[in-house]
Amino acid sequence: MTDVTLKINGETRSASVPPETTLLKMLRENFNLTGAKLGCDVGDCGACTVIVDGMSVNSCLMLAGQLDGREVLTIEGLATHDRLHPIQKCYEDCGSLQCGFCGPGMIMSSKALLDTNPNPSVAQIRDALAGNLCRCTGYTKMIEAVQESAKVLRGTPARRAAKANG
Amino acid sequence: MRAFEYFTATDSRHAVALLAEHAPARVLAGGTDLLADLKSSPSHAPKTVVDISRASDMRKIELNERGLCIGALVTHTEIMDSKLIAGLFPALIDAAHTIGAVQTRNLGTLAGNLVTAVPSVDSGPTLVALDAQVVIAGVNGNRQIALAEFFVGPRKTALQPDELLVEIVIPKENLDKPAHFLKFGLRKGQALALVNAASSLRIDAKKNTCRDVRIVLGAVAPTVVRAHSAEKFLEGRAATPENFAEAGRRAVDDVRPISDMRASAEYRKDLVAVLAKRTLEGACALARASKQKGVRK
Amino acid sequence: MAQKSNKQSKRMDTPMSEKSRPVRSKKSVGIGLPLEGSGTLRLPAVAKQVPFPIEALAPKVRQQTPAVGQRATRPDGRLHGLGQTKYIDDISFPGMLYCKIKRAGISSALIKKIDTSEALAMPGVMAIITGKDIPVNSYGPSIKDQPVLADDRVFHAGDGVAAVAAITEQIAQEALEKIKVEYEPMPAVYDPFEAMKDSAHKVHAPASNIYATKLIKKGDVEKGFRESYRIFEDTFSTQMVEHVPLEPHCSIAAWDANGRLTIHSTLGRITLGRTDMARTLQLPLSRIRMVATIVGGNFGGKNEITQEPALAVLSKITGRPVKGTFTRVEEFIATTTRHPINMHYKTGVSKDGRILARKVRLVLDGGAYCSWSETTLGKACILSPGPYNIEHVHAEAFVVYTNKTMTGAMRGFGAPQVCFAYESHMDDIAEALNIDPLEIRLRNAFHEGSSSPTGQVLHSVVVKDSLLQAAERFGWKEIR
Repeated sequence: MTDVTLKINGETRSASVPPETTLLKMLRENFNLTGAKLGCDVGDCGACTVIVDGMSVNSCLMLAGQLDGREVLTIEGLATHDRLHPIQKCYEDCGSLQCGFCGPGMIMSSKALLDTNPNPSVAQIRDALAGNLCRCTGYTKMIEAVQESAKVLRGTPARRAAKANG
Repeated sequence: MRAFEYFTATDSRHAVALLAEHAPARVLAGGTDLLADLKSSPSHAPKTVVDISRASDMRKIELNERGLCIGALVTHTEIMDSKLIAGLFPALIDAAHTIGAVQTRNLGTLAGNLVTAVPSVDSGPTLVALDAQVVIAGVNGNRQIALAEFFVGPRKTALQPDELLVEIVIPKENLDKPAHFLKFGLRKGQALALVNAASSLRIDAKKNTCRDVRIVLGAVAPTVVRAHSAEKFLEGRAATPENFAEAGRRAVDDVRPISDMRASAEYRKDLVAVLAKRTLEGACALARASKQKGVRK
Repeated sequence: MAQKSNKQSKRMDTPMSEKSRPVRSKKSVGIGLPLEGSGTLRLPAVAKQVPFPIEALAPKVRQQTPAVGQRATRPDGRLHGLGQTKYIDDISFPGMLYCKIKRAGISSALIKKIDTSEALAMPGVMAIITGKDIPVNSYGPSIKDQPVLADDRVFHAGDGVAAVAAITEQIAQEALEKIKVEYEPMPAVYDPFEAMKDSAHKVHAPASNIYATKLIKKGDVEKGFRESYRIFEDTFSTQMVEHVPLEPHCSIAAWDANGRLTIHSTLGRITLGRTDMARTLQLPLSRIRMVATIVGGNFGGKNEITQEPALAVLSKITGRPVKGTFTRVEEFIATTTRHPINMHYKTGVSKDGRILARKVRLVLDGGAYCSWSETTLGKACILSPGPYNIEHVHAEAFVVYTNKTMTGAMRGFGAPQVCFAYESHMDDIAEALNIDPLEIRLRNAFHEGSSSPTGQVLHSVVVKDSLLQAAERFGWKEIR
């Protein structure tokens, strides 16, 4: 068994798992964080995307043991009890998700992009989301949502103040 | 995936010791190829996996007396973010950008990509065009061979079961050599190359002739391959669009593409001629853009 | 980069207001786990109430009429964005087992023997069943030609021949390799035209490979051709397409103490599914409860049961809930696909491009099982002449068994294929007659009161208006 202690959404968690356990399986089965999805299990669809140490990754392509001492952010870690993350709000307002299955992965890839590029062009958004497949929507409203989120995150003065306090 | 024994290497030397003790084992660096392979083909299940992803060494991109040295754990994203590489070899960045998607590039390593040794390996052509060498570590020390010789066949490299690829080196004499890379796939991302190509050459400023021509093609032979007859044609000839186009046409004689579900052999041959020509034009444009580049001393 | 995510994470450390924060022991951070080697314990900061409360989850009731044109809120959008939507694979039950199905890997064969002894002996394997364990081993939306698990014959390479229930998915997967199946290969037919010949191997012998046909006749096509200025003839074909829903097929079967079965499934048509379950398990409908939830993409591919009866039997044998999740490979080889169709068109036109007569022959590759082929056949045939006023029509369609992945419902039920054919055909005709492609369609398109190929009189017809509006928006005149 492999022992791993890592930070998930700010909390330190531990698990003891067979070494062949992927990060995806550990999140879903050991920690009941079912937001990340299994769509293909080989890193083609991106439904399993989470953020590890600030980078978007396919959690189906990491072994649990590789996460020891690292930090993971999943979809469950974005909203607080009383507030959606701006990206989640914009996805909702733009009507970007239909069946929703690709949603968590798509939103995490959007977050990873906006964390490093606060004003992405459409081409850059497409590039950042290229690893996340969607069979329902045709992607246009997701690109809109990312553009809207970018505006919100760059912020009006009122929102900037709120961010500073929150 | 099937169960396996799992060891974490603290550095490259420890990794080599583990490989020697537990051979045949699979090496886990980025995991984007290994894990996908183990899930798709249970028969490839190894007894042991040696995880080098947290080794303390093999992480640097540096310039020294040997040339440009890229450690085995450098990821495609790190290559794309490297100002040093951007200044020396934008073609390496272009190539890295064509691999998978952001998620795979964040984990996947340049070395890991080379070790897959698939005929369409995207990081292969540019490095071969720049006469890159690879440093291989074993229990008895390191050895160094040309990358072109490292690729032995489809999915086969010159690595012994107890050896580890630790570094890729672009030799010092080629640091100023312009190179250009192009990949043609059915999509812009998450796609295997139908054909990929890299060209590298120097242009004699006075005579406007080509020297040290390298034209390298991928996905059209069992391994990445140099278009020798095309190179021979262009060597010493004027750097003109007509000659580049002719070199492209001759490159078709140097390849043996197959027809598969992605494309016919005929289509691939068409692509070879065009991509060889365009990468030559690209390298030439780079040579002309910089006065220092491409002038042999 | 790492810093930024740290910043986010810190906010997440404070999920509750000060009042309701539980007392934490000094020794732990997070859910009751000691943090070794820690000096001073860093307590999370108190969360301030932020002035952006989450709106009420229920969307505002739409009072205004007409509803058309009003902006609607997706009721499930909130949960999707939060990652809180529970799809079937996100659901677990205590003691749940995992099922994996062994796929034949051969497209046409007799099964001589299945030896499950080595697999059964594996620790963690709780039960293995084959086709003979299914009380009535056949189902289908119309023709009941599909077995839950193969009886003694394999009809396509994705056929399931055995199903394993084990305590982990990993063990179930490995057990599949230990199941030994002896096959006697049989002839196979892959091309529908080959399959239509009398001499061809009969996939579901003794039945003919042509398992459904449709014919629509209107007027007299030969007369129409005689009166035509010019006749065009061409063949179009489309390929097999897989829905690739991002969510693989998944189901969970469980029995209660009173012998009632509950199935949680990604299945879309649960009423139909319940009927199929009643039939295959020989259970009264009243004992079967189907629970469906948000589906991660259906597109027609989740319109009939797949593994549910097998899961139910495994659950009954083991006394535990059993979950089965298809792999992405199984999505391609063992679920329905879109019918490849070969479409032959013969069209007679007047000098000004009006269609006088159209003769269509469609051959649908019907795969190994009927599934929704009859509906697809019907739609494809009725829609094959296109939305055009044609006096003389002869449309004939055949759907044919082949030893390939079954073909079923996929967005359009045959409409997309014939649309590709008749519109490509129309473009060719327009080019040959030197008539603008938009103009030729306007000359032929349905209008109020037109009748369809089957004689239905059409109302609320907006074909021409749509074409003209679209042309204006695309800047059609400018491009031309």
